[in-house]
Amino acid sequence: MGMDRREFIKWCSLLAVGSMLGGCRKLPFVGDAAKKDLPSLKMFEAEVRRAMSKPSHRMELVRVPMPGRLKTPGASLENRFGMAIDLDACDGCGKCILACIQENNIPLVTEDEAAKGRFMHWIEMRGGVPFMCAHCGNAPCERACPTGAANHTPDGLSAMMYKRCTGSRYCGANCPEHARKFNFNDAVQQGLSLKFNDKVPVRSKGVMEKCSLCLHRLQDDRLEVKTAGGVWRGRGVNTACAEACPKKAIVFGNWLDPDSPLVKVARRRDLYAPADLAGFDPSIVYMMGGK
Amino acid sequence: MVRILFIVFLCLLAPGLVSMGYSLWQGPAAWSVDSGVFWGMPISLFVFWIGLAHAGTLISAIFLVLDVKMERRTSILAELATLCALVVAVIFPLMHLGVIQNFYMVAPYMESRGSMANVCSPLVWDFCCILAYGLLSVVYLVVHVLADKSAVAASIHRPLAWLLFPMVLWVHTIVSLDFAATFVPAWRGAFFPIYFIVGAVFSGLAMVNIMLCAEGYRMRQLEKLMLVGSWFLGAFLLWDFALKGNLSVTVLVFAVLLPQLMFVSAVRESTLGRVLISSSIIVGLLLERVFLVFPSGVMGFGWVDLGLICFGFGLFGVIFLVARLKLSRVIEGEEVLMGEVEETVPKRPATGRFSYFAPLTTPEFRMLRFPLLLGIIACTLFLVWVVGCLEENGIAFSDANLVPLTCPIITTVAGIVLCLRPLVMHIGKVGGAVMVALAALLGVLAGMVYGGVTSVPSGAVVSSTGDMLDVGTLPDSTSTLDSVAIIRTKAVFEARCAGCHGADGRLNEKFVREYYPVPQNLDVSRMDALGEDSLVNVILNGRTNMNPYAGRISPQMARGLVRYMRLLAETPAVDNAATQNEGGDE
Amino acid sequence: MTPLMSSLACVMALAQAFFLWRGKMHILKEGLLLFGFFCISCVFTLLVGSPDDPQIEHYPLRMLALCLCFSTTSLPRYRRRYLVMAQAFWLWVELFGGIALAYRGIEFAWARSLAIFLLCCCSTLLSRISKEMEFCLMVFWIAIWILF
Repeated sequence: MGMDRREFIKWCSLLAVGSMLGGCRKLPFVGDAAKKDLPSLKMFEAEVRRAMSKPSHRMELVRVPMPGRLKTPGASLENRFGMAIDLDACDGCGKCILACIQENNIPLVTEDEAAKGRFMHWIEMRGGVPFMCAHCGNAPCERACPTGAANHTPDGLSAMMYKRCTGSRYCGANCPEHARKFNFNDAVQQGLSLKFNDKVPVRSKGVMEKCSLCLHRLQDDRLEVKTAGGVWRGRGVNTACAEACPKKAIVFGNWLDPDSPLVKVARRRDLYAPADLAGFDPSIVYMMGGK
Repeated sequence: MVRILFIVFLCLLAPGLVSMGYSLWQGPAAWSVDSGVFWGMPISLFVFWIGLAHAGTLISAIFLVLDVKMERRTSILAELATLCALVVAVIFPLMHLGVIQNFYMVAPYMESRGSMANVCSPLVWDFCCILAYGLLSVVYLVVHVLADKSAVAASIHRPLAWLLFPMVLWVHTIVSLDFAATFVPAWRGAFFPIYFIVGAVFSGLAMVNIMLCAEGYRMRQLEKLMLVGSWFLGAFLLWDFALKGNLSVTVLVFAVLLPQLMFVSAVRESTLGRVLISSSIIVGLLLERVFLVFPSGVMGFGWVDLGLICFGFGLFGVIFLVARLKLSRVIEGEEVLMGEVEETVPKRPATGRFSYFAPLTTPEFRMLRFPLLLGIIACTLFLVWVVGCLEENGIAFSDANLVPLTCPIITTVAGIVLCLRPLVMHIGKVGGAVMVALAALLGVLAGMVYGGVTSVPSGAVVSSTGDMLDVGTLPDSTSTLDSVAIIRTKAVFEARCAGCHGADGRLNEKFVREYYPVPQNLDVSRMDALGEDSLVNVILNGRTNMNPYAGRISPQMARGLVRYMRLLAETPAVDNAATQNEGGDE
Repeated sequence: MTPLMSSLACVMALAQAFFLWRGKMHILKEGLLLFGFFCISCVFTLLVGSPDDPQIEHYPLRMLALCLCFSTTSLPRYRRRYLVMAQAFWLWVELFGGIALAYRGIEFAWARSLAIFLLCCCSTLLSRISKEMEFCLMVFWIAIWILF
């Protein structure tokens, strides 16, 4: 009897170990299996075209007032960054999407996901309207993050700390407009990622990502001003999507700076935001009519 | 019979392990989730198993509290089932994470910015509650098993049940808030807390019923409660339908309609009938959780999803049977009915007459007074600390965010103190004082490790003569950098590096809390040993927790920074008083 | 939910409480009664409440809790214990329903939850509960329901 039980336990443990060894979880920094070939720029362009060809319905937009200072305690009195997208000028060409991909090293997705219309692009075309994370002042995603990885900077950006993300995807579930993307794949390992821009890290498998309002550009500018001395208002910084738009439909700037191109343009127009997000004080608004 | 069951469960477990291994390797892409459906089978299974985990302790504790007679053997089995279900349940939220090794970050402790931002998240409350619940359940089972033999254990048995009673309900309420406190349209519902509790108790009753049938027992009260449970679940499902228009007919059939067959005496009297009805309830509730968690409708189960279901049942069965066999001698001991066993507890009269206790004088309350007080004090201190951190860091929060953390803290502290009390009384006053002193010492040590040793605070850099370091008068040994370059290097250092390394080049005290391994303390000898080139490489290419700066800082600037750090390292540290007196401008 | 309708809800709860825990207590009978009352509350809420108001989501549960509180005044024994438990149930519904709603942007009704909590704590101090005390408790509950 004793022998039997020992044998039995031995076989059980072997079975358990064998089953689980079927895939020990690979640590992200440990070596690399055979890296697949790097994708080409053409593949990214093709994917953008594919994404834009998927049918999507236009979001319901409601009037919102011009964004002002953040209401959280400790918010900056000088800076609140945001964008305004002119829907009358935008023709849905999609150059902003490609620019964003190249600026932020956004990976391709696998064929299964592409077939379902689920891409990693931070900007998406919804019914001809470019949509990205609205950097809400009272963001539902940040409230939900269990590790504090999704948080808000005093200058109005909804920031993401990749190293602190544990991949619970709660923030993604809690965004009413599904602006957040999850890295289901190890993009580098699967040959889905091309590092266009050295200044932006490639996200590892298992973390959430979304539009960062080109935080790296803002940071570099801020540090330059900080070393030279002076108050930083973010003048002269532009996001990749705003730079790339041929119609200049996307305007980036500082809502709290009266000299910012954003404020100058938005002052004269009617501002709109997606109905689901309007109550959360979004920093990124749409402009229609009211010239 | 047990051998057969064992083999059945092992057969379930084997493919389950394969699914689990594959899920852990592939990550969340393995089961049926994608960018639109974020939570899938693992979370459904988590909620399902946590619900089952409530059954045992809830039934045992609630019946004890409400003076309903239940056989000791039944209640111990129920508690054992709780623990096994809890073990299975805890595995799922861990394996569904994208980056499993960061799971500890969910705990409400301060990260290096000291902001405690995550206490507003329902998942953090979940973590605390389940930890507290698991701990208390283990203690409760142990005490229950010992209560037969030891008077001390018997005396804390009922107070512990009173402590556990609200905790059990709290845990599942928090789990329901995981869903109710979000913006997902299918998860809206202020009635979710009670809905989930009803579902959990119902499924738990079904599970205990199956166990009882397997043991050849029968408890009619339980079956009647199950029927009532099915009615209430039906009511909630219909209310959900009335509010949101989502209804799953399958769930209604399995969990609400089929159990009504219990009214048919043929079904009710046969063991097989009861087992089938209970299984139908369990299946129905599993499906109900699945339909709830997949917000945009079920996408179809893949083999991994089915494998995970098998894993759950297989693991539960295996663990339960093993524990059951190990504890068989204890459980099958003298058949003792609750309520008439202990002589040390004041006489509880038999049913029929009731005893009247003046307010706040019941024996359980007397035992719980002091532990509860300590628990409430601990909770208040914790909340004050958290509120301080949140306010200091400018994070918006409301009291509604903090209320859910109160119960686990109070219950854990109270439970621990309650269990330690007999121990302390046993040891005597002197021994007790020694123990408290030891515990305090341990607490202080833990606090020091956790809080971190302060380094020389990052303040103004002071030279060996006590003056502010005047970059214009550097000695010739650093002439490779001219004074303009030094000013700029100092500025870049303070802009980019001082956040972690401190303006004086020493370790920033906040670092110890979060980033292990901590950055090296770079004094002169260490820097010389490492060499300038390797340090330049570290700046450009990054290392462990330090990001690479290659595109953002030129190699020349990196070299300048390394030399500047060496300059700082040569400057001896001065104490706080001196730097404060210098006026401390940063 | 207009004040008139919420008063009507209160009266309904009172009427329902009359039928509970009478005579020989049988789990199925009491369970069926509670189930019936819950269904009636749900139908009432649907008819009377506006569908846009998220506060109606837990309204039937609040009515049930009120009904249970009223019903404990007629129990023959262990009255204080069940009184406290019924009020705890009401507090549970209010508190956690309120937290869920607060996360969706609806103001949390602090005053109400605090009032129930205080009443619950004070109830633990009640010694022999006389008829006057029962009446007093019922008045308190009705006051909380209507005023807060």
